[in-house]
Amino acid sequence: MLELVNLSKKFKHLYAVKNLNMFIEKGEIVGLLGPNGAGKSTAITMLSSLVEPTTGDVRFKNKSILKSPGPIRRVIGMVPQEIALYNDLSAEENLQFFGRIYRLKGNDLKQKIDEILELIGLADRRKDIVKKFSGGMKRRLNIGVALLHNPELIIMDEPTVGIDPQSRNYILETVKRLNEEKQMTVIYTSHYMEEVEFLCDRIYIMDQGNLIASGTKEEIKRILSAEKTIIVKADRLNNTFIDSLKQNPTINRVTVENKTVTIIVPKEINIFQTVLKLAEEAKLELNSVDIKTPTLEDVFLHLTGRALRD
Amino acid sequence: MIWHIVKKQLLVFWRNPQQLLLILGLPIILIAILGASLGGLMEGEPISIDAKVAFIEHGDEQTQVDMFLDEIKNNKLPQEAVNAISSSAKEMMPISILKKDILGSDDLKNIIDLEIVKPSKKDDVLKNKEYAAVIEVPENFTYKTLKSIYLENGSKGELQVYKNEGNQLGSNIVTGILQQYQEQLSLTTFAGKQGIASEALQVDPDAIIGETVAINQKKPVSAKNYYAVGMAVMNVLFIASTIGSIAFLEKRTHVFNRVLLADVSRWIYFIGIFISGTIIGFLHLSLVFGVAWLVFGVTWPNLFGCLVVTLGLAIAVGGLSVLLTAICFRLNSEMITNFFGSIVVTLCAFLGGSFFPIGDLSKAIQVAGNFTPNGAAMTAYLSIMRGDNISAVMDQIAFLFIFAAVLITVAAISFPKRGQII
Ligand SMILES: Nc1ncnc2c1ncn2[C@@H]1O[C@H](COP(=O)(O)OP(=O)(O)OP(=O)(O)O)[C@@H](O)[C@H]1O
Ligand SMILES: [Mg+2]
Repeated sequence: MLELVNLSKKFKHLYAVKNLNMFIEKGEIVGLLGPNGAGKSTAITMLSSLVEPTTGDVRFKNKSILKSPGPIRRVIGMVPQEIALYNDLSAEENLQFFGRIYRLKGNDLKQKIDEILELIGLADRRKDIVKKFSGGMKRRLNIGVALLHNPELIIMDEPTVGIDPQSRNYILETVKRLNEEKQMTVIYTSHYMEEVEFLCDRIYIMDQGNLIASGTKEEIKRILSAEKTIIVKADRLNNTFIDSLKQNPTINRVTVENKTVTIIVPKEINIFQTVLKLAEEAKLELNSVDIKTPTLEDVFLHLTGRALRD
Repeated sequence: MIWHIVKKQLLVFWRNPQQLLLILGLPIILIAILGASLGGLMEGEPISIDAKVAFIEHGDEQTQVDMFLDEIKNNKLPQEAVNAISSSAKEMMPISILKKDILGSDDLKNIIDLEIVKPSKKDDVLKNKEYAAVIEVPENFTYKTLKSIYLENGSKGELQVYKNEGNQLGSNIVTGILQQYQEQLSLTTFAGKQGIASEALQVDPDAIIGETVAINQKKPVSAKNYYAVGMAVMNVLFIASTIGSIAFLEKRTHVFNRVLLADVSRWIYFIGIFISGTIIGFLHLSLVFGVAWLVFGVTWPNLFGCLVVTLGLAIAVGGLSVLLTAICFRLNSEMITNFFGSIVVTLCAFLGGSFFPIGDLSKAIQVAGNFTPNGAAMTAYLSIMRGDNISAVMDQIAFLFIFAAVLITVAAISFPKRGQII
């Protein structure tokens, strides 16, 4: 349905997106994952036809959208990363205006507005001015506006930032339901691994403008199949311990965060005893040692050497 | 579609109470303050123009007429023609008509203070700043003129006028009178040449006097009226910067992107901005004048004329709105609206005469002022307030429309192209 071909965007001297290739099939939920500044939003503005790429092409239903963006514009619903609403208008007035510019009118529009207010849980706040909404309520309305015209393809750029866990689950459920019931195709951008793991069939991982991995959840996790992750927790971590870990030739990677040390080793190595021994030598009291099944977070760490959220 | 955009723009405008208060409240307060404090300078008094005019005549007119009559007798004209000319030419003394029947008439006496000055005193008079104008009749003016009218021989005489730039109003009145007078004389010449009427000089003093009095003794403009117009035309310019800011906010908050993604052409949006600016500008002016009428008793002798000027100014404001929007979008910065709202508006208001009739100080400022939308509108409004009808302010109205058209064109050129709006 949608295909990005060698897509690049250059701002002055910086490639925000570099030679990106992606495809999205009808009915899929595709995740786009990456840390801050990876180029996710830039990729999205290009594939939605808002910004022209420096080089490359975006093809929607086998036609380039660069010259005629009309067809894709009419069927996409865009949830931008920023709250794109009229602060001085009420929830209902916002929906009314955007509905009208999507050429809905009369009873159809009215029904649709009711339906969406219900869906995003703002039915009883419909007359309130957006300015007075909480951050989470604005987020929900930001999503609602994108659903007015029953889009075939919905693009969500970090739609759950700043939302409490309850609303967040609700939004995730809603996205999944829209996908299952209405066969809506979804492109979902996030730096929350859990969200992408929960929602997406296929995942693209970007970093610094480049695509660094892609595939189904399983395929991507298989990248780690040759390795395993061990999480060591201790209240009073000391450098002797960490240095000795880093110097150990069988350990591939060591990262430290607060009271947690993450160790990546080849699968076949039994590191458990080694860790205990090193801790004893360093006179360190361990709280726990866990062996973890790999997550996307680990994949990212593996691929880039950096945590997703830092 | 355009209408939905306009409607939403009006709604957003309406939801900004501070803005609204500032734009509507400020002019009304200023009218009250300026009108009251400067009332003494302008209130009520009919404009008393007292233009001192020196009249210098070289040679005696009667002698010239006699000379002319002698000459036609010696000419090879048929006897009847000679008779006809001599009988009518006796009453034809263009300078006496100008001096006595026009400039010296009872009606113009309280406007023009005519003083006959000997040619030898010319230099003194020219140096004297008291005179609004000096009229000089050259040697043989009458003789030349008669000859050119009746015998189609040679060119007619030209009156010389020296204007005192320090007394714009007075010298303008005198030049106005002389222009009409010369025009009528030429018409006579023309008519004579065509053989249509060679029996009388076609100067009609009453017409000239009537018009001069009508122009210069119209309803005087009181301070309140003056500042009602001055403040309205100044404050309406703020609408343009407000619209520009609102539009830029739409871009900054990515709402504009939503509009584009709804497959609405950016030109529709562009036109929407222009129409919003025009409508809000029109409403603003109507409201300020409405309040000025209710509270300060500012009335219009010709409501239709006022309406047409308001429309012209509103369209100019629409043009400004769309230009500011385009520049904001292009530069991705709101700076230009702030610059416009502070410096440009103040400068325009100053030049346009919103604070005091600055145009009376110098011709150059007057011209510059009339090249600002507020200044042109102000000139037109004041003229209508004094009782002129629309035809007298066509220049200003045309200027406002052309101004808007030029701005819209520039805006369209600078509006970012598709896919370039980041
Ligand atoms: N309009 C712009 N002008 C210049 N540089 C830009 C512009 N937009 C984005 N960039 C740069 O491009 C890079 C990618 O930005 P982008 O917003 O696409 O990242 P992102 O993956 O969406 O990050 P985040 O998770 O923080 O939203 C960044 O380095 C950013 O500074
Ligand atoms: Mg982003």
